[in-house]
Amino acid sequence: MADEQAPYAGPGTSPGTAVGDRPADVDVIVVGAGPAGAAAALAAARAGASVVLLERGPFPGSKNVYGGVIYGRILDAVLPNWWEEVPVERWVVRRSTMVLTETQALTVDFRTQTWAGPPYNGMTAYRADFDSWLAGKATAAGARLVTSTVATGLLRDAAGRVVGVRTDRTDGELRARVVIAADGVNSFLAKESGLLPKADPKHHTLGVKEVLSLPREVIDERFGLRGQEGLDIEMLGNTRGIPGGGFLYTNSDTVSIGAVLALPGLAAAKVRPEEIIADLKAHPAIAPYLRGATVKEYAAHLIPEGGYDHMPALATDGLLIAGDAAGMTLAAGIWLEGVNFAIGSGLVAGRVAAEAAAAGDASKKRLARYRDELEKQFVLADHKRLRGAPEIILSERIQRRYPGLVADLVESLFTVTNPEPKPGALALLRRAAKRNGVSLRELARDGLRIGKVFR
Amino acid sequence: MTNATGDGARGGGPLVVVCLRVTDLRPEVDPLTGVVTRSAHGAGLSAADEAALERALAIARAWSGRVLAVAAGSPIVEGPLRAAAALGAAVLRVAWPPHDEADGHGAAPGAASAVNAASAVDPEPFGPRAAYLADLAGDTRALAEVLVDAIRTVGEPTLVLCGDLSPDRGTGALPAQLAHALGAAQALGLVSLTPTDDGWLLAERRLDGGRRERLRVPTPAVCSAEAAGLRLRRAALPALLAAGDAPVPAARPTRPAVGAVEVVDVRAYRPRARVVPPPAGATPRDRLLALTGALVAHDPPTIIGPTDAGQAADALVAYLVRNGYLTA
Amino acid sequence: MGAATAPAATEAAEGGGGRLGDIAFEDRMATVDFRVGERAHIVVDSDVCRSCTTRACVTACPANLFAPTADGGILFNYEQCFECGTCYMVCNGEGALTWTYPDGGQGVVFRQG
Repeated sequence: MADEQAPYAGPGTSPGTAVGDRPADVDVIVVGAGPAGAAAALAAARAGASVVLLERGPFPGSKNVYGGVIYGRILDAVLPNWWEEVPVERWVVRRSTMVLTETQALTVDFRTQTWAGPPYNGMTAYRADFDSWLAGKATAAGARLVTSTVATGLLRDAAGRVVGVRTDRTDGELRARVVIAADGVNSFLAKESGLLPKADPKHHTLGVKEVLSLPREVIDERFGLRGQEGLDIEMLGNTRGIPGGGFLYTNSDTVSIGAVLALPGLAAAKVRPEEIIADLKAHPAIAPYLRGATVKEYAAHLIPEGGYDHMPALATDGLLIAGDAAGMTLAAGIWLEGVNFAIGSGLVAGRVAAEAAAAGDASKKRLARYRDELEKQFVLADHKRLRGAPEIILSERIQRRYPGLVADLVESLFTVTNPEPKPGALALLRRAAKRNGVSLRELARDGLRIGKVFR
Repeated sequence: MTNATGDGARGGGPLVVVCLRVTDLRPEVDPLTGVVTRSAHGAGLSAADEAALERALAIARAWSGRVLAVAAGSPIVEGPLRAAAALGAAVLRVAWPPHDEADGHGAAPGAASAVNAASAVDPEPFGPRAAYLADLAGDTRALAEVLVDAIRTVGEPTLVLCGDLSPDRGTGALPAQLAHALGAAQALGLVSLTPTDDGWLLAERRLDGGRRERLRVPTPAVCSAEAAGLRLRRAALPALLAAGDAPVPAARPTRPAVGAVEVVDVRAYRPRARVVPPPAGATPRDRLLALTGALVAHDPPTIIGPTDAGQAADALVAYLVRNGYLTA
Repeated sequence: MGAATAPAATEAAEGGGGRLGDIAFEDRMATVDFRVGERAHIVVDSDVCRSCTTRACVTACPANLFAPTADGGILFNYEQCFECGTCYMVCNGEGALTWTYPDGGQGVVFRQG
C-alpha cells in the first residue's frame, strides 16, 4: 500500500518549491477558513488587498471543533452589532467551575443577567455555522473563498522567501505577495517554513467531545435557563490522573460534553479518550443532567496549549502565522479562550499583510509589525501575563492532588460529627492535605506561585 | 428565457446534458416523528450523480460536444453547479418546486452565501417545507417537462444523463419521464456507458447471477447509471478561480407542478401492532415450540432451473396459481 | 474495532454502572460524517512499529484507527479519521507514521463541532 502512495508525499513533507520572479496572482493568500483565516481575509480585503482564502474542507468550519465558549467582543470593532446576526446557539449567562473526584463534586457557580443581553459576553455555537458565517463576512468584503482545496506546500523564490502556496489541484500553484498560514493546530505550512517543530506532544492536548441531543425544554429545566440563555461548566479532576479537564456546555437543543487531555499523559495512561468522557458522563454530579440524552456527534481535535513561552516566531519572509497554527489558544485555568484569540490574531495578520503587499515589502523585518501589534493587544498581552499558567495548571499537584484535597476539606467541613465537637478548619485542612499527599509547605508554595501567575 | 453560461455552452457539437439532484447527503431524521431536517452543510451530489457528471464530461469530449449541467431546486443547488462550471460545463438551475424565492431561502453554501448572509443560519436551506410536500405530491412528469423546457433553451440534447440513485427520492422515475418528454430512447440502471465510433452508445447493465447485458443505444437517449467506481475529476485551480462566484442562471418553470395526490403531512412509517394469540401448551417448551413453529413440517423450497426464461416464467405462474395468488 | 463494550444502546451513561449503557464504538463513529477519499492519508511503516514498546497510538487515537497485529506490527485504517494529529504527535518511532491531510473536500465533516 505504501508504494501506491509514494507519488503524493502530502502537505509539509517536501521542501518549498523554488519559483522564479513571476508576478503574484493575488496580494494575500490565507490558508484555512477558520476564525483566524476568515478574520485575516476580512481584514486584508477591507484594507484593499486582493485575497484568496483556501479551505481544505467542503465548507468553512467542517474540520473544526471547540470546547465551550466563543467571546465575540473582538468583533465589535469590525462587525458592529454582530450579535444580531451571528449563528448563536445560546448566550452564556452561567459559568460554573467544578472540582471533581470520583464521588465528590465542588461547584462554584456564577450567574449574571448582564450577559443575557447586548452586547453579551460569551456564546455557544456550532463551528460549522459560526465559521461559515465569519468566512461569509470575508467573501462579502471581497475575498475569494476556495473550498475543498488543500495547501500542500509553500512556494519560495530563489532567495528562499515565501511567494505562494502549492495546492492539491491541477495547475494548483498560486502566488501571492504575502501568505498567511491559518491552517490550524497541525499547521503543515508553519512546520514546512521551520517556524513550528514537527511534533510537539508536550504542548498539545487532545479535546474529545460528544454532542448529546436533549429537548430544548429539558435543557432549560435541568440547567435553570430560559430562552437563549446558556451554561458553561469547566471541570477539574476525574480524568484518571491524566492532566487536563472536562467541560460541558449547552446549545439550543443539544448539550456538549468533553474532555481535554494532555497528550503525554494520555499516551502513558493507556486509556482510550472516549472512556474519559464516559467517566464524566457517569459522574453522580453530571449524570442527572444528561439522563436520556443520545449521542448526536462525536468529535476530536488537538489544542495547542504551550502558551507564550512556546509560541513560535510569527513571521518570516512572505509568511505570517495566525490562530492555532501559532499556538494562540489561551488555556489558563479559569480562562479558556481560543476563537477570540484566533480572530484577534487574524485581524492583525490580515491588515499587516495587506499593508505589506501594498508597500511591496513582505520582508521578515516589515512583517515583524504583526508581532509588535499583537503585543500591544490582548492577544499577546494576555498570553505574556499568563505565561506561567499552562505549566502550573497541568502540574501534578493541581491535577491529581488538589481536587481531592479541596473536596475532602469541604466534605469534612460540612460533615456533622456529633457528639464529637467540630474540629478547627486548620486541623481539617491539615487532615485533607495529608490524606491527599500534600504538605502544607507545598500548598503555601503553590498558592504563592498561582498568585504570581494570575496576579 | 435565460442563457446558460460556461465554456461548455459555447461552440457547436452535440449537447450532453446531466441532470443533478442536490440534497443533504446526511439528513437528520427524527425517529419518532419522521421529520427530516436538511442542512446546507450536507448539500452535495450522490456518488451516482457525480459519476453521471464525469461520464457526461468524458462522452462530450469523445464527441467534441458540450456539457450542460442542470439541477432543479432552491438556490442551494448553485454550489454543486458552480463546481460543475469549473469543470467546463454550462450550468442552469431550474427553480423547483415553483414557489416564491423572494424570501431568501436556500442561499448556496460557501462563497455565494456571503452575499445574502443577512440571517445567521437558514433553517430551511432547501426551500420551505410546504414546497417540499408539494414536490412530493407533484408527479415526476411535471418536473421532467419543466426540465426539458429548460434544456431546450440551450439546445436539443443528444444525450441526457442521470445518476441512477439519489438519497432523496431523486431520480427514480425521472429518467423515464425525461425520455418520454424528449421522445428519446432510454437505457436505465447502467453500470457503464461508452460512445462508439458510429455515434451510438454502448451500455452495460447488471443481470441476475452476475451476468451483464450489453445494449446498443441510439441517440437521442436518456441514460441513468450507477457510480460503479467512477469518481468525479477535480477542477483545476485556475478554472475554479475563474468560475468563482459567477451567478448561476435560473429558469423559471412555465408550467405548474400538478400532481394527482395531495400530500398533507409526512410521518414515519409505523405499522399497526398485530395481536398474536398466546401459544397453547402446558410447558414453556411446548409454548415456545408452538410460537416458533419449530419441529413442524414445512414444504421444502422448490428449486427451478437452470432453465430458459419461458419455462421459468411458466413455473412461477404455476406456483402463484397453486398457492392461490392467481386464478388459473 | 475492539473497543465495543456494550451492545448498541443510545441512552447516555448513567451513574453506578460505569461503561454499561454507553454506546458501542461503532455507533459512536456512525454519528460522524466521513467523506472517504481514495488516497490513504495515514501510512504506517510496520517495520518501525515492531521495535516500538509504547504503542501509544493504539489507545490514544480517539477514532481507534490503530490495531496491533500478532506479528508486532500495526494495522491502520484511515477512513474514519478525525484528522486531529494525535497519532503522529504521540508516536515515538521516527518515520513510523506518515500523516497528511486528506485530499481537498474529503475526510471528516463536523456538523456540530
